[in-house]
Amino acid sequence: MGAFKAALINEMFKLRKKRKLTAAAILSILAVLVGQVAVTGVNLGFGLRVTGSTEFPLMVLTLMAYTVLPLLATFVAIDMFNGELATNTMKLTLTRPVSRFGIFCAKVLNLALFIVANLWFVMVLSLVAGWLFNPTSFSMAGLFKVFLAYTVTFLPIFVFALGVVLLANVLSGGLAVFFVSVLLFIGFNFISLLFSQFSSFLVTSMFDWYTQWIAQPLNGFKVLRQTLILVGCGLMLFTAGYHLFDRKDI
Amino acid sequence: MLALKTKAIEIINLTKRYPNGRGINDLNLEVEQGEIFGFLGPNGAGKTTVMKVMTGLIKPDSGDVKLFGASIQDDYVTAMQHVGCVIETAESYPYLTAYENLKMFARYYPHVDEKRIDHCLETVGLLKYKHEKPRKFSLGMKQRLGLACAILSNPKLLILDEPMNGLDVEGMLDMRHLIKRLAEEEGTTFFISSHLIHDVERTCTQIGIIYNGRLLSVKHMDQILANYASLEHYFVSEVDRNGRI
Repeated sequence: MGAFKAALINEMFKLRKKRKLTAAAILSILAVLVGQVAVTGVNLGFGLRVTGSTEFPLMVLTLMAYTVLPLLATFVAIDMFNGELATNTMKLTLTRPVSRFGIFCAKVLNLALFIVANLWFVMVLSLVAGWLFNPTSFSMAGLFKVFLAYTVTFLPIFVFALGVVLLANVLSGGLAVFFVSVLLFIGFNFISLLFSQFSSFLVTSMFDWYTQWIAQPLNGFKVLRQTLILVGCGLMLFTAGYHLFDRKDI
Repeated sequence: MLALKTKAIEIINLTKRYPNGRGINDLNLEVEQGEIFGFLGPNGAGKTTVMKVMTGLIKPDSGDVKLFGASIQDDYVTAMQHVGCVIETAESYPYLTAYENLKMFARYYPHVDEKRIDHCLETVGLLKYKHEKPRKFSLGMKQRLGLACAILSNPKLLILDEPMNGLDVEGMLDMRHLIKRLAEEEGTTFFISSHLIHDVERTCTQIGIIYNGRLLSVKHMDQILANYASLEHYFVSEVDRNGRI
């Protein structure tokens, strides 16, 4: 457990030192700002009220969940695996008294923490922006919905990131992993539009599954089914990714 | 009375073949604790492959390596507990300072504190560059940093692949003295591969020669020097004899 803790702290330290977090924060702030400017523009220009203070974060979430969040998660996943192999620094971690399973878990957990931190950072930013520009429509129930929506969005993005981790252990070049990930992302979205009956099995079509969590009334069975599908996909991707990582010759 | 020596390294029927046909074949070797083992062989003979298998970086096709009795395949964490290594090239995280690089490794060893980090940096002559990033370092300085990372945990076994690479004359002398001091004072076992045969002759106590993935011979240095003018003569004679075969 001590070695795993050390590996996790090291992964977090490396992520911070590479300024990936700063880049993520800047992109997130920009996305929220652009969203707020658009909403204010429509409000002032056409006299239409697009969103209230707690609806604005949900609008931002839909935008972020299909763009910046998976993109940043992809970059981090590629950097943790292909990046370290390319710079020959992977062996520095692997030759310490920690198992490959421990290292793999530390990397994946670090990726998960990055996604959660990114989601919650955007949530706080968009809540503040929404409250500043539309303070009258603020409510505790709305706040809870926002928190729930941002928290549950973690799962599909994390499962997608696990897919990228698997690819990073299949393909050797980081650029190749990035392009294949983008193609899969576009392909999955396209397939879910054409064959909507299969969309439940495609992770990317569940990036906005928070709408089911905050729907009134809540369709518990559907939410449970999609949760199980996501958890199942996640477990399979994790296992396959670890299998390849464990067998990799450095 | 015979002193009972513990085996630091046991390589048992080790085989690893690459798709290009190179690799190592049915290698067996034992190195006792406290020895400075020099691993010699021409380019592509399989030295780095052996070292990579020993440190778990690659998996063998068959056979096993035991470090202080713990199998590298079955009990990796225990096997690597007392091992420090520099394999192929001395790498470091270029975006971290020398101190931060060592701090990263220190987290795996509860007994390693700030003093020990400073001590290791001082030992390799990098203390004044403690807060500089290795991307600005020369090859020799990177090599020194790699060595500092390897000795940080005060390991009982040091596996060093071409440790003299990039070092200037002073650096090579320092390295030689450090190896001898650690072996004598702390009983550290060394497993070193090097092309600098003169340095190996002056540093190592035991020599193993690998050729075409097969271990040709293992002899103590005093045995070799009793029969040959130098280690170079012995090496050339062994490789020549087996090359003709």
